Amino acid sequence: MKGNIFAKIIVYAFLILGLVVFITPFIYMVMTTFIGDAYSLPRPNEVFTAVPNLDNYETVWNKNNFFRYFMNSLLVAGVATVGSVFLGALTAYSFVRFTFPGKELLFRVFLFTMMIPLVLAIVPQFTVIKNLGLVNTYWGLWLLYIGGGVVGSTFFLRGFFETVPKELEESILMDGGGNWTIFRRIYLPLSKPALGTMAIFAFSGTWDEYFVALTIIKDEAMRTLPIALMMFQGKYASNWSWIFAASIIAILPVIIIYIVFQKKFVQSGHTDGAVKG
Amino acid sequence: MLPKVKNESDHNQQPVMTPKQKEPKKPKPSKFMKGLKQWMQVFPFLFLGLTGASVFVIYPLIKGIVMSFQDYNIMPGAESPFVGLENYAKAFSDPAFRYAVRNTFLNTVVTVPINWFLGLFFAVLINIQFVKYKITFRTLYYLPIITSWIVVAFLFRYLFADGDNGLINYLLVQVGIIEEPISWLQNQWTAMIVIWLFHIWKTVGWTVVIYLAALQGIPKELYEAASIDGANGLKAFRFVTIPMLGPITAFVIINLVMGAFNIFPQVYFITNGGPMGQTEVLQSMIYKQAFNNFNFGYSSALGVMMGLTIFLITLTQQKKLGKQRFM
Amino acid sequence: MKLLNKLIAGVGISTLLFATGCTGGSSETSSGSDGGSKDKVVLDYWHTYSDQEEIILNEKIKPLFEKEHPNIELKLTRMPYEGLKQQVVAGVSGGEAPDLMRMDIVWVSEFAKMGALQDLSGFEGFDEVKNSVFESPMATNLYEGKYYGVPVNTNTKIAIYNKELLEKAGYSEAPETMEQLVDASEKAVKAGAKGGIAIGGSFSWAFLPYFWSLGGTMTNEDYTKFDGYLNSPESIAAVEEIAKWQKDGLVAPTVLGGEPGTWDGMKNNEYLMIDDGPWFYSILGNEEGSKFKPEEATVSGLIPAGPGGSSSVIGGENLVTFAGSEHPEEAWTFAKWMLTDEPQRLMAEAGLIPTNKETANDPEVIQNPIVQKYVKQLETALPRTPVPQWSEIEAVINLNFEKVMRGEMDAKKALDDAAKKADSLLQQ
Repeated sequence: MKGNIFAKIIVYAFLILGLVVFITPFIYMVMTTFIGDAYSLPRPNEVFTAVPNLDNYETVWNKNNFFRYFMNSLLVAGVATVGSVFLGALTAYSFVRFTFPGKELLFRVFLFTMMIPLVLAIVPQFTVIKNLGLVNTYWGLWLLYIGGGVVGSTFFLRGFFETVPKELEESILMDGGGNWTIFRRIYLPLSKPALGTMAIFAFSGTWDEYFVALTIIKDEAMRTLPIALMMFQGKYASNWSWIFAASIIAILPVIIIYIVFQKKFVQSGHTDGAVKG
Repeated sequence: MLPKVKNESDHNQQPVMTPKQKEPKKPKPSKFMKGLKQWMQVFPFLFLGLTGASVFVIYPLIKGIVMSFQDYNIMPGAESPFVGLENYAKAFSDPAFRYAVRNTFLNTVVTVPINWFLGLFFAVLINIQFVKYKITFRTLYYLPIITSWIVVAFLFRYLFADGDNGLINYLLVQVGIIEEPISWLQNQWTAMIVIWLFHIWKTVGWTVVIYLAALQGIPKELYEAASIDGANGLKAFRFVTIPMLGPITAFVIINLVMGAFNIFPQVYFITNGGPMGQTEVLQSMIYKQAFNNFNFGYSSALGVMMGLTIFLITLTQQKKLGKQRFM
Repeated sequence: MKLLNKLIAGVGISTLLFATGCTGGSSETSSGSDGGSKDKVVLDYWHTYSDQEEIILNEKIKPLFEKEHPNIELKLTRMPYEGLKQQVVAGVSGGEAPDLMRMDIVWVSEFAKMGALQDLSGFEGFDEVKNSVFESPMATNLYEGKYYGVPVNTNTKIAIYNKELLEKAGYSEAPETMEQLVDASEKAVKAGAKGGIAIGGSFSWAFLPYFWSLGGTMTNEDYTKFDGYLNSPESIAAVEEIAKWQKDGLVAPTVLGGEPGTWDGMKNNEYLMIDDGPWFYSILGNEEGSKFKPEEATVSGLIPAGPGGSSSVIGGENLVTFAGSEHPEEAWTFAKWMLTDEPQRLMAEAGLIPTNKETANDPEVIQNPIVQKYVKQLETALPRTPVPQWSEIEAVINLNFEKVMRGEMDAKKALDDAAKKADSLLQQ
């Protein structure tokens, strides 16, 4: 048993060490938000002696239509997440469950597209959105996020879907169910941890997305949060306390989504296993 | 609910790439018909994803490749003459390109193994049964990922500010590790270290999350079976966990390599290539060529070359992906 | 599993409904503004005004203009700086660029070369407008003999000294010549200052005032040749002089991107002199609860005169119309109006320096003695070479300047090399 305690100490020591490294910058960032005038970045002793207060958070919340953009972002990222997970699952399922000529070639093409950095992809994408008449609509944004993201989500989910045991399909087939039933009854529920993880990635990805949102959405009232965040950056000087405070507010929803999805999907797979075992 | 342990044999599907040995004698039309039938089956499932990918990913990609052979003008209706391989040739006489290639490769060589190891390491630790506050650990490890790139890039520039005004120098001096503050961002190699550290810090959480999801998918039965055979702790890790994580590792490595090649805000916002262009990477060069200099053709050519390189580097891993049969 | 299905279905449906509501709403408003006021032309205007400036724009400029021109409506969109050029590129190539934009003066010739901008020289009343504004800012709109924009506000940088350090160096007033500046810097550094002359970085905007004032030149007068100018003996001497300051420890670490930054060093009595635009006073002066009062803690003056006189660099923004605009006439109407006395006066309230000569020289408009110094400095301030290849050329010059400052290259070699490369870029 002693060895066990020793092992525990080591494990926790590593975990906490990692934690310190990961969150120290954030703690420093939060401490900077307590400082009033941060057009030039405050120095360590100023930061350490700052009195915690929420003034900057209040200022930020009331500036640049921050709240409005916050709600817009929730809508945009929410729909994009659901759409991406669904479309990703469907496409990954096509690659896992079916055999068809050109499958591996298509998959390689998908992979290749992820590797080429196209800073100018926005130009043809924007042209398509424009021809569909969807400039300045969330539909345009969703189409682009979901359609453009399908390659990555397929790549991600395919690996997990491959682990779904094929025997389970037989019982569905025997009951007269088809491919759709297998998708719904077997692949989706058995891949909950992967789908949950995928949802988290999709949400944080779209929540953060700045450039496409700014290109597609022309109305100030319809803009999303990352744009509001960038508005705090001035041409000649930026108030860093505001930018940091705004960023802290902006990551809260992602943390909540993360915790919820972890509990509901990712971990549930684990507990099921534990109960069964 | 839990996937059962499955034996290897009964796949109704074969990777298409492996040639089907016993079929060459069959007449062609029937093979065609078979393929058509297969497509009909998969079509309802594949249709949406394929459309989305074709319109928003593959079409821009093809345009980008074409652009790389042109002196491209973005004005609608303007002429973009073809220039053959000129854009590609230009790269090799561009001194900035040498630095960019060197630094991109260095970044890949340095960060991918560290990132991979730390991600796996922390995922395994968090996943150990006796560890409490799992959700808290995961969430905090995930924090760097969800923060805006631009904001944390500035945060890092601030932390690594030279003199004793940056937190890192301040702490190092206080603790007594160094006597004089380091000018992190003003020297080539210290600046590179900051860029690498930042890259690892920002992306390790992603690897942790992926591996945690994968670890969760390993059936408990396997560990039980191993335990009956007398394998516990490290042994179980060696003989159960590692093989089970094999396929997802291919996925992780490919993504890490892509991430390391695509390093951009890390450089653009922290050093902007300085000092003296020595920390420039491909991605920041691609961006600057397109949007500072409006050399769209050249920028695309750099992108295509980079994409091909990643594709070739990850080829061995990609083959593993094709054979994802691990249960 | 059920939970997942329900969740997907539930979220999907509710968001769909919500979304339909949203898009429906937005299309209604846009059609409303088109149809409701029959022949009204809506001008899309992208700008990057700051908070205080935007208030004036929204509450004074817009109503005033729309009152005088009832057939035109301004649709104002404030753009963030980050990735702005990309936005313009995407807009232009997708045919969705705005009608008007207020853009940085160095962008105009680049976009003009691309064919993205409307040539304004032919419009009615152009010559009058041209004659009413300062010459140098106007010149930044020139590309191949035509003007692709008009200057809407201008600025430059002057020298700002830390009062405490200046006194320590034995000066009660701002140094007027480069010799005095060097002398004051030496004394200040001896007295413990972290830096004497805080050149903001190794890029043209930061070092050009010193380069020019010390006698350096960039090109010939019509901006067609760097060789013989950028590497003239005077230019080499100027860079050598700056390199000497650097070697003697007079230049602050900011020139190589070091910390503390210029404002930080000024606030904390660490740098004797920085150079900056009027925003130094307006931003730091408006900061609530700050202990640092820029007008009290600093002494300002023109850039100290050297062999080249006192010369600074011009900044500011031009108003441009995009080639794809459907309402070029109306856009010109606004641009022309914006350069007249009244709107120029209004924007001056927010600290923007008018480009309209009459307005700028009216003592009523600029009463603040510091802003008056900026206007004075503008008389001799020069634009960065207004050529479309400027971004690329600048990168070459900056790199070589940095190499000189780091002692990796001598001034003559650096400027010869830069001039050669710059000329070959000009040919493209």
